[in-house]
Amino acid sequence: MKTKTESKRQAILQAAAEVFREVGFDRASMSDIRERIGGSKATLYNYFPSKEKLFFEVMHHAKEAELEAITGELNADADDLKRELVHFGQKFMTVLYSADAIAVRRLAIAESRHSDIGKLSFEQATVPIEKQVAEFLRKVMKRGALRTADPKTAAMHLLSLLESELLQRVLLGVIEAVKPESLSGAVRRAVDVFLFGYERR
Amino acid sequence: MSKSDSKRQAILENAYRLFRAQGFDGTSMADITSQVGGSKATLYSHFPSKEELFVECMMAALEDYMSDTLKHLDASRNDPEAALRNFGTSVLNFICSPEQVEVRRLMIAEAARSGTGKLFFDKISALRSQISSFLAVCMASGLLHRDDPDLAADHLGALLEAEILEPLLLHVREAAPDEEETAHAARRAVAAFLRAYAPTAPSIKVAAGPNAHVRRLPPHEL
Repeated sequence: MKTKTESKRQAILQAAAEVFREVGFDRASMSDIRERIGGSKATLYNYFPSKEKLFFEVMHHAKEAELEAITGELNADADDLKRELVHFGQKFMTVLYSADAIAVRRLAIAESRHSDIGKLSFEQATVPIEKQVAEFLRKVMKRGALRTADPKTAAMHLLSLLESELLQRVLLGVIEAVKPESLSGAVRRAVDVFLFGYERR
Repeated sequence: MSKSDSKRQAILENAYRLFRAQGFDGTSMADITSQVGGSKATLYSHFPSKEELFVECMMAALEDYMSDTLKHLDASRNDPEAALRNFGTSVLNFICSPEQVEVRRLMIAEAARSGTGKLFFDKISALRSQISSFLAVCMASGLLHRDDPDLAADHLGALLEAEILEPLLLHVREAAPDEEETAHAARRAVAAFLRAYAPTAPSIKVAAGPNAHVRRLPPHEL
């Protein structure tokens, strides 16, 4: 078996991204991807053992980087905390509820028993994002803008509330993707519930 | 139990076992008939399609659990916090059991592929509206402020699951949480929920700004 090269790996990822974008995950096949790059099926499988792994590799990293960047922008010193959270929630949910990110997420859950996709997605996306949000909330609590509570729990409550009106529908494929403008109501209501739940009173 | 009921029960039990072992595509109505005995016509007289049978048997345990539990949820008592806390702990214990986590995973995995997503969603919405009814009673009696009870049920559900469910679904964690862990998670969730929906708190919909008068979109029109 030939040695793997980074340039070949990148070429495969590039081709796969195109195919997934054009026909979607379900209809894409390893053969389609192989046709774009040439070479044998064995070579392709040598780099990526399954379509699922390849898809995860292509989509997950892009989304994860975007979500972390959005979370990183949270400013604990913002004068208007509600505005800050609504702005964050809107941007975060727009990426998280894009068609690609939803497909990756469903796949991570569906495949979690048979591969390490679920674990990777948890360790590389869920945990770092929760940590960033918790750190933001810790600072906000410290300056007295929210009641003192466990920032980690508060972070999970906030993230879960943002999804509360949509998660089931999306995971069950009742809706394929959510338009950004449809998200704004759900985000504002979630932020309200979070703030009422965590404000000093 | 009538003869027809016990037949139906036998179908559900066998189908449940086969679907869990072989998945949706790997299980045929013929497989199920050969396990239960009888004819395919009998099977179809109970369940018009494999999709409906799949959804029925996957949701059966959760539906039984919910109808039992909600019977005991008493909104007339003066301590809604304790009632909600106990309810929350009990729900978490149930949905975090390895079997229910597996059911949920299978449901999500098959939803898009087999076109059962809508059937599952309708069942889940019906269960949610039972919780909404309880919250509506709490709102009517002044224990919670008046708001959209369906929305409140979504928020309560999200808060309850927030700390526990994802690592289980993603198989990062296998062991179900113990009673102490679920009780803590439920306590924190209910505390945040009751503050947010306290009788003195502003209405979520009014507080939500200029578009707050826009009702939430119906389930399938997003």
